[in-house]
Amino acid sequence: MRAVDIFIQQILNGLSIASVITLIAIGVTLIFGLTGIINFAHGEFLMIGGIVTWLAVSAGLGFPLAVVLAILAVGLMGYILERGLFRFTLERPTNGFIVSLGLIVVLQHVVVLFWNPNQKSIPRPLTTVWEVGGVRIASVRVMVIAITIAVVALSFRMITASRYGRALRASVEDRDTAALMGIPVRRYITGVFVLGSALAGLGGALLIALFPITPFTGGTMVMKGFAVALIGGLGNIYGAVAAGLILGIVEGFSAGYGFSQWTDAYSFALMILVLIVRPHGLFGGTSGPRMAS
Amino acid sequence: MKEGLRQDRAGSVFKALRSLLPVLVILALIAAVPLFSPSNRFLSLAISAGINVIALYGLSVLFGQTGILSMGHAALVGVGAYAAAILARDFGVGFWAALPAAALASAVFAMIVGIPSLRVGGHHFVIMTFAFGQLLAIVLTNGGDYTGAATGLDLAGPVTLFGADMSDLTRYYLMVVAFVTSAAVASWAIINSSYGRTLRAIRENEKLAASLGINVGRHKIGAFVVSGIFAGISGVLLAYFLGHISPSQFSSFPSIYLALMVMIGGARLIEGPLAGGILVAFLPEVLNLDPVQSRIVYGVCLIAVIMLLPDGLIGGIVRALRAAFSGKPKQETQQRGAAEAQR
Repeated sequence: MRAVDIFIQQILNGLSIASVITLIAIGVTLIFGLTGIINFAHGEFLMIGGIVTWLAVSAGLGFPLAVVLAILAVGLMGYILERGLFRFTLERPTNGFIVSLGLIVVLQHVVVLFWNPNQKSIPRPLTTVWEVGGVRIASVRVMVIAITIAVVALSFRMITASRYGRALRASVEDRDTAALMGIPVRRYITGVFVLGSALAGLGGALLIALFPITPFTGGTMVMKGFAVALIGGLGNIYGAVAAGLILGIVEGFSAGYGFSQWTDAYSFALMILVLIVRPHGLFGGTSGPRMAS
Repeated sequence: MKEGLRQDRAGSVFKALRSLLPVLVILALIAAVPLFSPSNRFLSLAISAGINVIALYGLSVLFGQTGILSMGHAALVGVGAYAAAILARDFGVGFWAALPAAALASAVFAMIVGIPSLRVGGHHFVIMTFAFGQLLAIVLTNGGDYTGAATGLDLAGPVTLFGADMSDLTRYYLMVVAFVTSAAVASWAIINSSYGRTLRAIRENEKLAASLGINVGRHKIGAFVVSGIFAGISGVLLAYFLGHISPSQFSSFPSIYLALMVMIGGARLIEGPLAGGILVAFLPEVLNLDPVQSRIVYGVCLIAVIMLLPDGLIGGIVRALRAAFSGKPKQETQQRGAAEAQR
């Protein structure tokens, strides 16, 4: 293979992983921006999305239906957890973070308890491999990238153009003032939890289309999601998408040029470096809602 | 006037000593356990619990007193453990010499992690320590022969004290109890020193503390370094007890379990780390749970403790007892509870 072919292929591989990470990062960044809660369990939401997809496909359902089920199931889980747990930690976001730690442990091991800790995979939903001038392009990766672009574009449109999006951005900017303007902030918080969870469910479904997953996949993925959210600036959705692209490309290259055992280290090292130089991320973020502390 | 002040100080020292007493009594009882010829399984469990408790005392200074939560504490333990193993392999350094060296290594690592992480501050600190923990595990895994890669390192040095071989389970148990006792006393001394008061001032109101001339940044890093010293010592004990260490023992998930233990026990009270470490180690045995079930129980316990008992299990029990046994402290505890809820 020519060098340029490898190059293009690695960009593609990187972008497909970046898609999944971006989907988590959007949820992470929105939830943090609105509530100040660092939700580490978000990676487990993704893992559950993957498991639901795996269960549905194993039960004989088609992949598209499985994706919808994953989105619905994880969205519902987000709703229940917000109403049942996170709602009570809004005054002290640190407690919300600790609750999410407990959730990580519980969700992981509930999955292990019912469906054993082994790797789970589904047959690739799309098996076609296109050859364009010597570059082999797996259609499943293109599908993942395309779905992510569509979903992210839709979310952007919702957040920038609709009045709900404007209210949401106002609440991220200043929760108390937004509430005074008559925006039902509490309801928006629930909504963001559901939206973020649904995106994580989609991410999980797309991830299992690319790679086998285990009940412990969520841990690394959420760290990458946070790395992206922090590099882009917490609370800043544009930043999260841009940082997701950067990280995906960096990871793709490192895997393609023989440093694959260090792949996981890049996101963390990059994040630490960016935070030391620019504590609010490359594109600027909030430091969480202003608390009356 | 001066006399009154001195009396007051003597009174506060007495009060402080009284808070240490229950822990010492419990530890003395624990030290007497070998008299009842417990099983080897019990002793091994108790030793691992004790080793965790030493690290937890460090974490309680950081989280309970200073109010900063670290998700990379297992990494600090790992630095101590690897330092002990590498020193023994390359330089023939024994257990006792490895202790200060490993404590130093962990303290230095804590400083390296702490300076940039605390500069970033606030919410990000937790994520930074988590990332450093993951990075350390990756570095250890990719360290080739020097760190033994994913399989880790073996450590087969004997532990001797005054010529006696301490490798025997019962003796190692007693030694760990002694270390736990020193850790408890050290953490008690920190809590009751002016240094401890400074840390608590930072926990309660960072801006106010800074306005009083307290160098907040330096003290936070200091608390992190102190917690690193505890972790390093716990790492040496762990390495010599297990005889084999590997990177996965020190990645970020063990750190989550350490944080979970200290919060279940209660980070602010001197009994907290001891209770948390013992509870988490022995709960599966008592309830006859397999590891998967017990982890689910830990997770649920953690969520329940955070939502219902912000002082941890021991804090909750103490409050309930106070409320049950006397009228006056009841009011006081209620007020404290209210103040707690406001924070």
